[in-house]
Amino acid sequence: MRRIERLINLIAALLDTPRPMTAEEIRERIQGYEQDTHEAFRRAFERDKEALRAMGIPLEVVATDPFADQADGYIISKERYYLPALDLQPEEVAALKVAADAVLGPGDEAAAGLLKMSMDGPVAPLDGPRVVVGADVAAEQPLLSPLYGALLERRPVIFSYLRAGETEAKMRTVEPYALVHRRGNWYLVGHDRERDAVRAFKVSRIDSGPSAAEGSYAIPAGFDAARHLGKEAWEVGPGEPSAAVIRFDSELAWWPEQNMPSAPITPAPGGAADIEIPVANVDALVSWIIGFGGAAEIISPPDARRRLVQHLAGFGDGP
Amino acid sequence: MSDTGGRLGRRLKRILLLLPYAIQHPGVSVDELARKFGVAKKDLVDDLNLVFMCGLPGYGPGDLIDVDMDDDRVYVRMADYFAAPLRLTPAEALALYAGGRPLVELPGMEGADALRRALEKLGRALGIDSARDGSPGSSGIEIAVEGGAGEHLASLQQALAHNKQLKLEYFSASSGKLTERSVEPWGLVAALGRWYLVALDHLSAEERMFRTDRIKSVTMLDEPAETPADFDPQRYRGAWVGGGGGSEVSLEISPEVALWFEEYYPVLAAEQAGDGWRRVTLSSGGERWAGTLVLRLGAGVRAVEPRAVLDEARRLAAILRSRHA
Repeated sequence: MRRIERLINLIAALLDTPRPMTAEEIRERIQGYEQDTHEAFRRAFERDKEALRAMGIPLEVVATDPFADQADGYIISKERYYLPALDLQPEEVAALKVAADAVLGPGDEAAAGLLKMSMDGPVAPLDGPRVVVGADVAAEQPLLSPLYGALLERRPVIFSYLRAGETEAKMRTVEPYALVHRRGNWYLVGHDRERDAVRAFKVSRIDSGPSAAEGSYAIPAGFDAARHLGKEAWEVGPGEPSAAVIRFDSELAWWPEQNMPSAPITPAPGGAADIEIPVANVDALVSWIIGFGGAAEIISPPDARRRLVQHLAGFGDGP
Repeated sequence: MSDTGGRLGRRLKRILLLLPYAIQHPGVSVDELARKFGVAKKDLVDDLNLVFMCGLPGYGPGDLIDVDMDDDRVYVRMADYFAAPLRLTPAEALALYAGGRPLVELPGMEGADALRRALEKLGRALGIDSARDGSPGSSGIEIAVEGGAGEHLASLQQALAHNKQLKLEYFSASSGKLTERSVEPWGLVAALGRWYLVALDHLSAEERMFRTDRIKSVTMLDEPAETPADFDPQRYRGAWVGGGGGSEVSLEISPEVALWFEEYYPVLAAEQAGDGWRRVTLSSGGERWAGTLVLRLGAGVRAVEPRAVLDEARRLAAILRSRHA
């Protein structure tokens, strides 16, 4: 018998059984576990349990008799296995299809998710309009799905994290509240247990892990992840925010008005526009200014101007 | 243990999807199933024949899954325990949010309300019990894509829907100038946290990606626009195609920069360069684009090639220095 048949038999039996089955019962009753020795059976069964868990199948281990020294039993939770009926309307399925098609990068996961959600839908493949919208949000980042799995089950995680500007990673225990994609990066926002405060962690700076930590948690009422991240990179930083004035040349004077509606704007000579912004990270501000190709200037504070000039030091007129 | 990532895992996942579908649609044709699941007809028939050998302990006629392939019609019975699919995995849900969240927020997106409702139902399907804690209705995933003025994005979508050319007032950072140009819009792509318009640019007669936040004004023209038959948003991952004629730039990055760089930019090749520095090669969005990138990295970059990119970084540095000195 092939392993895939054995796995299907195992899933079928553990989904259908009214009570948990012990390993011994599984060996005796489920087709595919006719191994010659107990050791060979153990190995095969261990591998199969891992395979099921890796697929997201909710295999549960339960004590069959809490008072006796009985072997553990295995069962697949029906409640956690079956996708509940969703009653998606045809236009909702069509919209989801557009979304699944828009995922840039390996699209297998989105396609499988779409299939699951459109089970009761029409048989014919949904030929939507030509796809003209794409979204690359690096959703295949390998740490995202374990972090998201932990968040959905409200399980704290432990990982080692390398802060910007530090050379040694430190262990952090975090209760995940949200995963946020912003400025092209993924952040985990959650409660840092040691610091007893909400912190944002750049997922790409997680050095190793995550693995499961003890306990469970609840996400506080009205939690707003955006508050912990800032909109612009220069808003979040090592220092306390201080006011900076940025001048946009006449060519670009419309830009802050259109894109930064909350920043106070003052007209400046020659049709330019000055804006005042709270800057906590001067290096991020310097990088931002460079991106305007010389049409934006830091007016104040003076040390931010100096920082920009220092940043350019390696790019003199030398050979 | 990664053996479900392989062929066996993929096949098992497909079978666990195929069964509920066939059970819910008695008499579905083999062709329709093959199309729906994106597999060859032969593989699909193999899957069904395999399932036919499986079932519940006892494994007698009343225990095995009954698969009937009658005249190309498929009937699966005796497998009620497989009548509903497995819940979405975190990876599947993430992928759907990754495509869906940016579109829901995109101004002028047709079907955005239906998509919002679908994503809410997805949240419920994940078993997020909003009553359990204080985050009702939250999926735990937030995706922010900056795009500038909402009305511009809506106009771009309208032009795409009607295949019309556009006149853009666009600030080009590489020239530091506000430019006016007509373009044939092909699509909108969200990358690195921003919306980009992919279009044929009549000014340069090249395919370009325009940052939508740098569009000052949009006017829809009467002239029709043509999208190439092979236009595929998949080509625009990382947003650096176009404008550069497919050129490459190569540079060495410091250990600190190396921590994030290769994940953030689509790097074509990377190798150790000594002292923890790394040499990386990436496809360039043009000399000016690459020059800006190099200048942003500052002291975290060295040994830039080709020379023209370094020259461009120096040119821009001279402008910035003269303004800030």
